[in-house]
Amino acid sequence: MKNPVIVLEKIQKTYGSGESAVTAIKEANVEIYAGETVALLGPSGSGKTTLITMIGCITEPSAGVLKLSGEVVYDGTWRVNDTRKVRREQIGFIFQSHNLIPFLNVIENVTLVSQMNGVRKHEAIRKGKELLEYLGVGDKETKMPSQLSGGQSQRVAIARSLANNPSIILADEPTAALDGERALSVMELLRKLAHEQNVAVVVVTHDERMLPLFDRILRVEDGRVREEG
Amino acid sequence: MINLAYRDIAHSFGKFVTTAVGVGLLIGVVLIMIGVFRGMAHDAMIVPSDLNADIWVVQKETLGPFAESSRLHEDLKYSLRSLRGVKEVYPLTFQSVQIYPNKKPVRVYVMGYDASRSLTPYRLVEGRAIQSSQSEMIADSKSGLKLGDNVSLGRGKYTVVGMTHKTVSSGGDPMIYLDLDEAQELQFQFSNEQIRNDRYRGSNTAANQTVNAFVLRVHEGIDPKKLSDEIARWKHLQAYTNAEQEEILTKNLIERSAKQIGMFTVILLIVSAVIISLIIYTMTINKIKEIAILKLIGAPNTVIVKMIGQQSVLLGVIAFIAGNLFAHASADIFPKTIVLWYADAAKLFVVIVIVSMLASLTGIRSALKVDPSTAIGG
Repeated sequence: MKNPVIVLEKIQKTYGSGESAVTAIKEANVEIYAGETVALLGPSGSGKTTLITMIGCITEPSAGVLKLSGEVVYDGTWRVNDTRKVRREQIGFIFQSHNLIPFLNVIENVTLVSQMNGVRKHEAIRKGKELLEYLGVGDKETKMPSQLSGGQSQRVAIARSLANNPSIILADEPTAALDGERALSVMELLRKLAHEQNVAVVVVTHDERMLPLFDRILRVEDGRVREEG
Repeated sequence: MINLAYRDIAHSFGKFVTTAVGVGLLIGVVLIMIGVFRGMAHDAMIVPSDLNADIWVVQKETLGPFAESSRLHEDLKYSLRSLRGVKEVYPLTFQSVQIYPNKKPVRVYVMGYDASRSLTPYRLVEGRAIQSSQSEMIADSKSGLKLGDNVSLGRGKYTVVGMTHKTVSSGGDPMIYLDLDEAQELQFQFSNEQIRNDRYRGSNTAANQTVNAFVLRVHEGIDPKKLSDEIARWKHLQAYTNAEQEEILTKNLIERSAKQIGMFTVILLIVSAVIISLIIYTMTINKIKEIAILKLIGAPNTVIVKMIGQQSVLLGVIAFIAGNLFAHASADIFPKTIVLWYADAAKLFVVIVIVSMLASLTGIRSALKVDPSTAIGG
């Protein structure tokens, strides 16, 4: 039986205190497995981004347990010394607006995280080139982000998210800035990656047209997380 | 590992270098200020150095002839020459005068010396030495005069027969050399009207045999200090060794200026630090999104701190280089002598590096406060 790579047990996030306290996520219980594509759906302000930032060890939960790849990362307090190290080694991020570093070229953007993890430069570049080829932007490695189209930038961002061999990819509305055709292309790519690279892909999305591409759908409403379908 | 500082600078290279050059102008001014001080010390030593005196004899209780006025009777030279150990005695006059080459006023410093003697208190670069009582002068190129020019001085007209280069007084005025008699006439002779007036009042105005100082050279083996002490015991004379005269020049004449220059230098360095700090802070604020992304994808604080710190130091280094180039390019244009020492530049470099590192702290502080979650949300 497969073990889940992401486990949320009664995860809660409350902002503020006393009468002005706002609970963004209320006792969420979720398990996500490697190779799955999971959509996080919900209206604006429902808590989707809060949920994804807690999984990504960016936002500290207020209560509950968070496990990543079988390791307890949070159980009332952070159990890891360096949450950035967890992100660097286990998680890849894809943003709505690619968010490539503008002063680094494509190959530098892709290999930055792996080099920070101590991978030798030539090895990181070799792996980076392979990823770029796989994603169809192999001829763009020396270009600057400003020289890429929206779709190309997003592919480079996907390559960056994969460069550190993560077990989890968190994508926050990765297709929002793309037209229909490109959006579909990127989502299909993420699905393919999840299955081929055995990575858990969690995508925050508003786009209900993409839902058929996901293995599971989690709906977030008023801080509550429930599985659909 | 990718060097983020270099990559960021390369991406906006023109803007970075332009900014650094701007700061460099400030640093260049600091170097020039230090060079002005060094120049003052250098200028103060030119005349004593050219004279190569062992002892200076001046009026009692004065710091003359440069720091204070001093007047002595010329015939004292006989008494001084008779002292044991004294090899040569040269009477000298010194006077500030305004001349008008090319119809523009130029302040010059006139030294009168006995041209018939072996003393040559200047370094000729052109022309020849003056001859006694021939209405001839040696002029420094900074005066605006050229070989062959005729200049009105006092009641006389003089021809420039020789030139020096960068020979200035302790105040930075170009030197002019005249024969002693003519210099005495220039400084001490009154107009006919005044002479008649003084005679009517009963005072003696025959002051032509006055000098401002005597320069003594001693025989080998003689201690100038002992000899100058002996002379100073005379009731109406003061004597200084060359070293003492140099100390008077540097300490008394330029000490206050040195303090002022020192204060300006410190103020300029503080201003440079504030400007570098503001520039690095602004560069950091402009990169807030990128810093948030870096933190989000897992960049440790050391990577971010190193990026900002390196940029700040590089800004300081480029500014220092630009400042040096500016100082060297403009040193000759300044009316005052500017002396640029490598040792001063090296010390300033260390100060600039330290200042740049400290100036990066405001930017680093802002960067460390950035919330990585701000990178999410487009």
